[in-house]
Amino acid sequence: MRNYWRLSRLTSHFLPLTLLIFGVRSPLTAQDGLVAERSAFALWLANAPDSPLAALAQQAIGTGLTLGPEDADVPLKNSTRMTVREEGSSVMLNHQGTKTPLPRDRLTAIGPYQLRPAGPSGRSVLTVFGPEHRTLIPSYYPADSHFVMTGSLTKPASRVTHRILMPDGVETEAIEAGVFTIQLESGPANLKVYRIADEDTGESELVIYFQDLTNGKGSYPAGRFVTLTPRDEITYLLDFNRSRNPFCAYSTAYACPAPWPGNRLSVEIKAGEKYGN
Amino acid sequence: MAEWRNAVLLRSFRHSSFSHLLLPLFLSVQAPGPAGPWRAVLDLAGGPLRFALTVEQKGGTWQGKLCNGTQCQALSAVRVAGDSVVFDIATYAATIAAVARGDSLVGEYHNVGRRGPRTIPFRAARGRWPVEKGPGGLTGRWDAQFLTDFDASPRVIELRNDRAGLEGTIISNTGDYGLFWGHAQADSFSISHFDGSYVYMLTGQLKADTLRGVFHAGLRTQTRFIAVRSNGAPHLKSPSEITTADTAPFRFSFPDLEGRQITEADPRLRGKVVVIDVFGTWCPTCHDAAPALVQLYKDYHARGLEIVGLAYEVSGDSATDNHQVRLYRDTYHIPFTLLRAGTNDTEAAAATLPQLTNFTAFPTTIFLDRTGRVRRIHAGFYGPALPEQHAKLVKEMRAEVESLLRER
Repeated sequence: MRNYWRLSRLTSHFLPLTLLIFGVRSPLTAQDGLVAERSAFALWLANAPDSPLAALAQQAIGTGLTLGPEDADVPLKNSTRMTVREEGSSVMLNHQGTKTPLPRDRLTAIGPYQLRPAGPSGRSVLTVFGPEHRTLIPSYYPADSHFVMTGSLTKPASRVTHRILMPDGVETEAIEAGVFTIQLESGPANLKVYRIADEDTGESELVIYFQDLTNGKGSYPAGRFVTLTPRDEITYLLDFNRSRNPFCAYSTAYACPAPWPGNRLSVEIKAGEKYGN
Repeated sequence: MAEWRNAVLLRSFRHSSFSHLLLPLFLSVQAPGPAGPWRAVLDLAGGPLRFALTVEQKGGTWQGKLCNGTQCQALSAVRVAGDSVVFDIATYAATIAAVARGDSLVGEYHNVGRRGPRTIPFRAARGRWPVEKGPGGLTGRWDAQFLTDFDASPRVIELRNDRAGLEGTIISNTGDYGLFWGHAQADSFSISHFDGSYVYMLTGQLKADTLRGVFHAGLRTQTRFIAVRSNGAPHLKSPSEITTADTAPFRFSFPDLEGRQITEADPRLRGKVVVIDVFGTWCPTCHDAAPALVQLYKDYHARGLEIVGLAYEVSGDSATDNHQVRLYRDTYHIPFTLLRAGTNDTEAAAATLPQLTNFTAFPTTIFLDRTGRVRRIHAGFYGPALPEQHAKLVKEMRAEVESLLRER
């Protein structure tokens, strides 16, 4: 707050009331932020052309992937035969005798379908989206401030990378960012944290994929993702209310990320996204 | 418009002994609805990112602009309903949705990524940001290292004072991040760049000749940096050393906006010095480069210069992309040929230009001599946000063209 809103003589007269509105410096954990985030996500799920609820298939391109007729790797109604191949660092689409590049991480419309290749060269996957969305409204445990905790990150001694699947089933090379220690009623627990970069925006997130005793009994069996929010140079905030299902929870088209070894908590985290009703 | 009344002030006035003095002033500043200037903030995990919003009503339609210091962009729409207001930034499919609470706005900024929407808390108060310049010890050119986990990568940070306050730019090996604007207090500073798509903020402090701080990208990413004052020696890789080409004459074949296939063998290009501009209408730095290329063309076309722009667009749909490229052409009055080369993916672009190695940046400027061979490739472009580098680069481009024109 220090000198943040430069206060004129007029408004400083009403400083206490100004503080009422702007003094609450924790919008990241505020309940209304959570509600807005969830409603934006529900809208995206229901409407986005690349929503997991519109996904028809996600497959490794491998030595070539055919789409279209019944005998194709990915059968698509009313579609002529298409082939998708990796050539060098590019992904190429052969369709009706013409060859065009399919840009990575972007949707290309082919008739009523949308194709998106993603992942590292040589091991790319193709996700195919259809025109219709299945209906699914994500549900959540009631927000609970007990599941908001701060802690510090113990960095690894050397640079270690892992090939992991992101929530959308796409492989990435993640850097081990460290171990995050939290205090549970049962005692301290360690969670492995990876840094996952988004090359498009230059942004990266500190991600935890964890399992707990609610898995299969209210929450998604494979585990859930949650990201750390930096507080200062060494302290981070972990808000389990913001934990999310991988996309395989919305559609079996997606590959499910394998649980990260060591990230199984021996307590029930009754916070964040649920599975089923 | 009752929702938009200054509830906080109204309530306070009843208890204020000065109300009789201030009431006329208050009435004169009360603006209808969201009209007027706003001090806006995105609450990143690492602190508030400042920008400015200005809203006005013209002929019954709301409109507005978003500014980082002196640099502004028009919002594509401002929608007002009851006590809510939505600012649309269509270019980036982003929105800011807020509700009026007293005399402030509270809401969220959204844009859509591959794994769902990104949301950042937003708030605004009426008024303009103060002009807060930086001390002389802070301004100038700094050689920085951005540190992530176990990696360090070089950046140059430039800080200067302008009429809106402290301004700056961050430069990487492939170009700049656009104009940053902000403020300073003693030896600490905060500058940011928010254009509806990119959410960047640089905060730091000067201590004993060393600048230390954090680069914030989006809600949660924070990268530490450490910087020392530049001694003039190059800190970044030269943009002409990044992308290279083979030694054969440069070949291409792409449709123009009328659908005619144009190749390097086109009679208009035969025996000419040709500058190839690899660009996209979605790329802000490419917009910065366009006026400089138009000027280059005007100055040297009569002596044998041709420029060909290769557009790599977003949709991949020829009608949509041609429309975008025409808008771009008309905005900058581009007199040279523009071809639709593909989609805006670095790898896809590289695939359509197989003679290039390490194609990394939009824009990339390729200089061909009269025999069609690549003589120089400049990855990225320094925009007017970097006045000195911009001037130097334009001068170098002119010198390169003049030297190639002299060859026979």
